[in-house]
Amino acid sequence: MGLEIDDIQSGALHHRPAPYVGKFLVLRVDDRHAGRALLRRLLPAVVGGLPSANPNKDAWAGVAFTYHGLRALGVPQASLDSFPLPFRQGMAARADVLGDVGESDPVHWEPPFGTPDVHIVVSGLSPDAARLEKALERARAAYRETPGVEVIWQQDVHQLPTGRTSFGFRDGISYPGIEGTGIPGSNPQEAPLKAGEFILGYPDETGNLPPMPQPEVLGRNGTYLAVRKLHTKVAAWRQYLRANTTSLDEEARLAAKMIGRWPSGAPLTLSPDQDDPALGTDPHRNNDFLYRENDDRGFKCPAGAHIRRANPRDANIIGAARLHRIIRRGTSYGPPLPEGVLEDDGADRGLVGTFIGAHLDRQFEFIKSEWINDGNFIGYSGEKDPVAGHHDGTGTVTIPQKPVRRRLQNLPSFVVTRGGEYCFLPGLRALSWLTELEN
Amino acid sequence: MTTGTEANRSAQPERPGMTDGVASEFTVFCKIKQGHADALREVFALMRDQSQLSRDALREVGTLHYARHVIFDNDTRLMFASEFDGSWDTYIDDFATTSIAKNFDMVFRHTEGFPGITDPNVKDWFVSQQEPALVFSGSYPDLTVSQIWKDQRVNESFQAVLDTPEFQAALDNPANAALLATPAFQELLDVAAS
Repeated sequence: MGLEIDDIQSGALHHRPAPYVGKFLVLRVDDRHAGRALLRRLLPAVVGGLPSANPNKDAWAGVAFTYHGLRALGVPQASLDSFPLPFRQGMAARADVLGDVGESDPVHWEPPFGTPDVHIVVSGLSPDAARLEKALERARAAYRETPGVEVIWQQDVHQLPTGRTSFGFRDGISYPGIEGTGIPGSNPQEAPLKAGEFILGYPDETGNLPPMPQPEVLGRNGTYLAVRKLHTKVAAWRQYLRANTTSLDEEARLAAKMIGRWPSGAPLTLSPDQDDPALGTDPHRNNDFLYRENDDRGFKCPAGAHIRRANPRDANIIGAARLHRIIRRGTSYGPPLPEGVLEDDGADRGLVGTFIGAHLDRQFEFIKSEWINDGNFIGYSGEKDPVAGHHDGTGTVTIPQKPVRRRLQNLPSFVVTRGGEYCFLPGLRALSWLTELEN
Repeated sequence: MTTGTEANRSAQPERPGMTDGVASEFTVFCKIKQGHADALREVFALMRDQSQLSRDALREVGTLHYARHVIFDNDTRLMFASEFDGSWDTYIDDFATTSIAKNFDMVFRHTEGFPGITDPNVKDWFVSQQEPALVFSGSYPDLTVSQIWKDQRVNESFQAVLDTPEFQAALDNPANAALLATPAFQELLDVAAS
C-alpha cells in the first residue's frame, strides 16, 4: 500500500533547512469549542504532502497535541485510552525512564512543561524570517481571534552564525530514508526504513502495524513527537575539555572523540586524525559510513561517542539498531557563548529538539534509556553519553586507543532538560475530525 | 533488590518481575497443547544437538545469563525461566529479529494461545503467563553478560601473561618498582599469587 502522503503533515518528514529560523508555541485550550474553532482556523496553515527534496525551499507549520490537549478538545475517553501508555502519561511522568533526574527533574522544568496546561504545540521552521512569518501568519491570526485559547509559552530558535550548535559542532546531518517517500536518507549505505517506523497505519520493520490510536481516522497518517528544551552548559563543556588536555589540538581532538564528528561535521570514522571541512560540508560523503568493518572497536569513533550511541548503524551492539531509528530535528536557541570564553555568562542557550517516530517507547525512550543513559549495549555498563548523558560529576568516558584506552573521570552534565512533552502529530483528515467532534 | 515496578532503566516500568542489580528474572508457566509434549521434547532434543547454534544465538542476544525449559505436571505444563540484563522487554522487539526468535517460536507453538514471536501482542501473552519471583538474588549483581565475557577474556590474557618468563623478568626489573608498588598492581599480584 502506498503512503497517503498528502494526508501526512509535511513537517513530519521535512528535513531542517540550513540556515533556519523557527518558532515553538504552546497553547492552552480552556474551552473545547474554542479549541475546535482554533483548529478550524489553523487548518489552512498546515500543509500536507511530500516536502521538497531541498529543505531550503520551504517553510512549514506543524500542529501537535498532548494527551491533555486531546482531552481538552473533547476527544472521547475510549479514544484517549487507545493511545500508548507513555503518551497518556506524558514526558514528565517518564522522567525515570528518560534519565530526567537531578537538575533535569521535572520539578525544575520551565513552566508550563510537565503540567496539564500544555495542550497544543505549534511549530514553524523556515529557511528565513520572511517565510517563517508567512508560514505562521495564519496560526497567529487563529489564536488571536479565538478567546478561550491562550499562548502560554513560546520559544524562538535559529541557526547560530557559526552554522553550528552551541557546543560548536555542525549538526542536522544524519536522517533516515523512508520507504515510499522517495526522499533518500543521508547515509547511502543504510537501506530506507519501513514507513511504519515513522507514520501510523503502515507496516514497520517488524512487519506489524504500529499500535494505532482509535478511531482509525484519528490515528492513520499521524506520528509522535517528543519535544524537548535542552539547556547546554557550554562553559562547563569548554572547562572540562581544557582541564583534561594540554594543548588546543588535544582539546579539539578530545571534543571530537566525545561527539564522534569534528566541528565541520566530518565524521571521525572517515577522518580519524584531523578535521576535514570539505568532507564535513559534503552532503554526499559526510554521512556515508558504517562502523563494523573499519572501526568495530572504536579506535576512530569511540563506541561511546554521541553520534555512535544515538545511531550505532551496523556496529556490534546488543539488539537491532534498525528498530530504534528516529527522525531528529535539533534547533538552537539563545546566544552563542563567544569563542574562547570559559566562564558561564548566565545566558540561557541550547536546543529545542524534536524526535519523531511511530513508537515512543521503542524509539525515543529506548534510545534515551539504553543508548544515551547506559552503555550495556556496547559493553560499557553504566557509562553514559559523554555529551547528552546526565553525569552529575561522576561520569566516565572510555576512549579506545593503543596501547591502553583512555578513561576520563568525574564528568559533569553538559545538557540539562528544561522541559518537554510527548505530542501526537495527526494527519490532515484527523485534524478535520478533531474540529468536527460533537459534545 | 527492587521490584520491576521500581526498575528505573526499563522503557516499560509497569512490567512484572524482580530485579537484582543489573539483572532481572522472568518465569512463565504455560499449558502444553494436548498431546504435544513429545513434539516439544523433540524440539528440546534438537536444541541440545545444536547447542553451539543456541550459544551463538545467545551471543547475538547478548543479555541472557541463563535460561531453562522444564516440562512438568504430567506433560501438561511448560516452565521457561531466565535471568537477563535490563528489563525483560527492553530488547524483546529486537530478539524477534535474531535467530533466538526461531527457538522461541519452535517451543511455544506447542503451548496454548501463543500468538507467534513476531506478533505485536506477544509481550502481553508472555506477561499473562508470567509468575513473578518473590525472591530474586544473584552473586554478581553488578556484572552484565557482556562484562562477564570481557572479564573472561581479560583473565585468560592475564593468565597467559603470567606464564611468560618475560613477565617474571619485568617484575624483577628495578625500573618497574614504582608500578609494582601501586595498590592496583599489588591487587593484580595478589590475584596472580594463586
